Amino acid sequence: MPEPRSARRRPPSRRAVLTAATAGLATVLVSTLTGCSAADGGTSQGVTLTFSWWGNDNRAERTDEAVRLFEKEHPGVTVRTSNSDFGSYLQKLATQAAGGGMPDVAQLDYRQISRYAGSGALMPLGEAIGNKTIRTDEIDQQFLRTGSYEGGQYALPMGRGITGYAYDSALYAKAGVPTPQPSWTWQDWENANKKIAALGLKSPDGRPVTGANDGGGNQDVFETWLRSRGGQLYASQTRLGFTEDDLAEFWAFCDRLRREGAIAAAEDTTQANSTETSPIGRGLAAADFTWDAPFPGYAKLLGESTHFAPVPSTNGRAGSYFKPSMLVGISANTKHPKEAAQLIDFLLNDPRAGDILGFTRSTPPNRVIAANVSKTLKGPELEIYQYAQTMEKYGLAAPPTAPPPGDLPINTAFKRNYQRVMFGLATPRQAARELIEEANRELRS
Amino acid sequence: MNIATKRWMPHTIALVGLLVLLYPLAWLLATSLKPADEVVTSLDLWPSYLEWSNYTTALEGVSGVSVTRLLSNTLLIAVGCVIGNVLSCSLAAYAFARLRFRMRKAMFAFMVATLMLPHHVVLIPQYIIFNRLGLVDTYWPLILPKFLATEAFFVFLIVQFMRGLPRELEESARIDGCGPFRTYWAITLPLSRPALITTAIFTFIWSWNDFFTQMIYLFAPENFTITLALSNFVDQSSTSAYGPMFAMSVISVLPIVLFFFVFQRYLVQGVATSGLKG
Amino acid sequence: MRTLSTKAPESADGTTGPRAPSRRRRPVREKQWPAYVFLSPWMIGAGVVTLLPMAVSLYLSFTDYNLFDAPNWVGLRNYAEMLFEDPRYWRSVGTTLLYVLVAVPLKLILALGAAMLLKNLNRGRGFYRSAFYAPSLLGASMSIALVWRALFNDGGTVPDVLAALGIDTGGWVGNPHLAVYTVVLLTVWQFGAPMVIFLAGLQQISPDLYEAAALDGAGPWRQFVAVTVPMLSPVVFFNLVLEIINSFQVFTPAFAVSSGDGGPADSTLFYTLFLYERGFTASHMGYAAAMAWLLLLAVGVITLILFRTSRSWVFYADEEGR
Repeated sequence: MPEPRSARRRPPSRRAVLTAATAGLATVLVSTLTGCSAADGGTSQGVTLTFSWWGNDNRAERTDEAVRLFEKEHPGVTVRTSNSDFGSYLQKLATQAAGGGMPDVAQLDYRQISRYAGSGALMPLGEAIGNKTIRTDEIDQQFLRTGSYEGGQYALPMGRGITGYAYDSALYAKAGVPTPQPSWTWQDWENANKKIAALGLKSPDGRPVTGANDGGGNQDVFETWLRSRGGQLYASQTRLGFTEDDLAEFWAFCDRLRREGAIAAAEDTTQANSTETSPIGRGLAAADFTWDAPFPGYAKLLGESTHFAPVPSTNGRAGSYFKPSMLVGISANTKHPKEAAQLIDFLLNDPRAGDILGFTRSTPPNRVIAANVSKTLKGPELEIYQYAQTMEKYGLAAPPTAPPPGDLPINTAFKRNYQRVMFGLATPRQAARELIEEANRELRS
Repeated sequence: MNIATKRWMPHTIALVGLLVLLYPLAWLLATSLKPADEVVTSLDLWPSYLEWSNYTTALEGVSGVSVTRLLSNTLLIAVGCVIGNVLSCSLAAYAFARLRFRMRKAMFAFMVATLMLPHHVVLIPQYIIFNRLGLVDTYWPLILPKFLATEAFFVFLIVQFMRGLPRELEESARIDGCGPFRTYWAITLPLSRPALITTAIFTFIWSWNDFFTQMIYLFAPENFTITLALSNFVDQSSTSAYGPMFAMSVISVLPIVLFFFVFQRYLVQGVATSGLKG
Repeated sequence: MRTLSTKAPESADGTTGPRAPSRRRRPVREKQWPAYVFLSPWMIGAGVVTLLPMAVSLYLSFTDYNLFDAPNWVGLRNYAEMLFEDPRYWRSVGTTLLYVLVAVPLKLILALGAAMLLKNLNRGRGFYRSAFYAPSLLGASMSIALVWRALFNDGGTVPDVLAALGIDTGGWVGNPHLAVYTVVLLTVWQFGAPMVIFLAGLQQISPDLYEAAALDGAGPWRQFVAVTVPMLSPVVFFNLVLEIINSFQVFTPAFAVSSGDGGPADSTLFYTLFLYERGFTASHMGYAAAMAWLLLLAVGVITLILFRTSRSWVFYADEEGR
């Protein structure tokens, strides 16, 4: 913008005043970019709590019902709830946290814990757990650790999930592949895929049926593969736990199977954004890596011959582990820490809340409630419950602590770099090197 | 080419063009009536039978909030935005088009420059401001900026329109002793009707379709708009209900379609007479 | 910005030097305060909702702000990383440029074609106008994004129709070479707004000009080149500027078609999508703010160039006195 030619009248120009005012206001704004105000306790008179989560309508209805029951038990406390879809939720919560407007109680993803706890956005729960406002006796202690950061407890798991493998048992039988057991190996998996592809079946739109979806771009599958070989994704909050060789080997393995036609084609994998549009949903593959909670949806969509099996092992060593499907924490800015803690305790430990919520957030972490609710299960729901018990007996390594804040972008980078392999834009080795460089950049900052 | 062909040619071209152009909308409508198992697998445009239950499911609403509530919330926001934009943008435009004041050039240039501002840049600071004012989870963050003429596009549009108005009327009003406010209200504003209607229509449609701002600022489901509710329907982390989702999509766009059919003739009129000559 | 402001009303008055007031013909100097009253909502808005957040974001672009911790000053590091170290930044610039270069001309040509067609249709005018506008009306809504993916997916209508014509493309959404064109087509499909503006411009061209041209023996093409194009050039210019500005900021269609991640393999990673990912998914708000400022700068420069060159090809019929 052009500068004024000469100072006419009014020595302290309006612009100078405006600039100063803007600068002042900006300073106030910038100083609140990390606004944390002290929380103070109080009575439960006229208390309004906000509580937000992501999830579908069924989860919303049941959560709402449980919350209404909580309000009835705690007169004077009103809980305002809100839910969004997962993608929007992550951004919304980040914006709220940045602007100092985080809800009192918030459902959190495993990947959010380190960032939110590390920056002081979450209230430490040690005190509430110590004075039994939040009871954790019935929650597995190792599992509880997933909500901790640098030794402090900042969130509690709301549900327990585990990776698995949804497959069409009829096709497996037809190809002469035995029912997958916890000890089946990645080599067995390769053979199964080849046998199914060799059947020469055609999908509804006339294309060949392959053995499975391509899990190469799925970080969860890689983690399970890695853990079955004794490795881990992260060595610490700032260091990767695997090498370029590990990743290049995994991607070369998937890449080879896809080129051989044993697993789904590249375009079919990249265009999928739901089970319906994925290769298994379109009849192009016989199996898919997934989590236990979504499995009943697979069974409903694909029919009764769909069953749930373990992810392949390496020489019998399973890579799966019990992972919190979601956690819950309290905002450091809350004005009502006591009521917020009571709400969490109610949702996690009250048997009536347990009955209402059921398995809407995967297996409840409270063992008593899980066992109680499981009595009403049948069909695919019962199958995943029994699956988790089988795996627990089979023996799984302890879950890692919460992943570093950089895991979210690393996760998308993982998918993207494998896509480059799929379309021949990079070799597995090149893509692995790029991912490691990118991941290290994220972990450094 | 004989006369008859000459007359029918453009119609034929237009209709063929429309067939292609409107196909996606037909697809949406047809899919919203498809039974669940045909949505993904069936290649036919038309469903084998009409599955009206998609609509009954969609009409039940989302998270216990009825569709009527969602629609009236959205309508409230849209109407608030329309009033805000028409008022504040025409005020600012009148000053730029007709009055002289210091730094007018610089301010006008700044106003035009804000057209180019990617709104993600200012999202976080804006959120902090509204949060400080205690206005999060109300409709104010969505409506208030419109009362402050922050949509440069409309200010620009109305300025361009007012530039094209004859000055004689205003001059004579001034000689008759009308101040700038009377002149604005009694002379310029009525003459600017086409541009104001254009502003109103675009504002209505844009605020109806907006997702981003609503997603950031609204918290409680009872304050949700129809677009937010739709996005909850689409949640990928759960088994999607494709049929009801597309039914909900149809419901969400129906009001703007109706709105547009009622006002469309003013739209072209508005643009036509607004002398958008760059 | 100077060229921009020459478009301001009666700009000749604005460029007064110190001696200018004495040359004014108007005897009494107008009071200034009514103007500020008219402008007060805009000034508050420009200050609080635009300028202040802009200043904050400019500051943030020199920091490592991650939404959660207090920002630390890092100087030009974000800018340097973006320009010299991050291959994805340049990939996103390339994708956006490709998009602007393909989508804007296509959209404007279609809009002009449709406007020429509709101008000659008297019967059913309202119907046609609404029907041609319908895509623009609904195109920005989330529902259409859902439809779009379904149409261009493998097994969707578009690949199927093409296959029937002997062109086997497979699904577009999952193919890194084609995915960007699904976004291009989604934008081009919404040519209603420029069409309406063209239509308005066409209706303002005096029929006398065409009659005169016809008397001189000009055929339809000659009339188009000699009358329509020059008379319409201000409208073309207006549309061009708006579409280019909008296209550089394209977000929603890309976000919707790629499910938000700019995939497959970054093929739909538009500038603003990358900005969003850096800022909100990866929590590098400082980096995102720096990206936004470079975008603002680039669009500003391009607009400036457009305004500069416009003098040689935009024809203003009512130029006299300006």
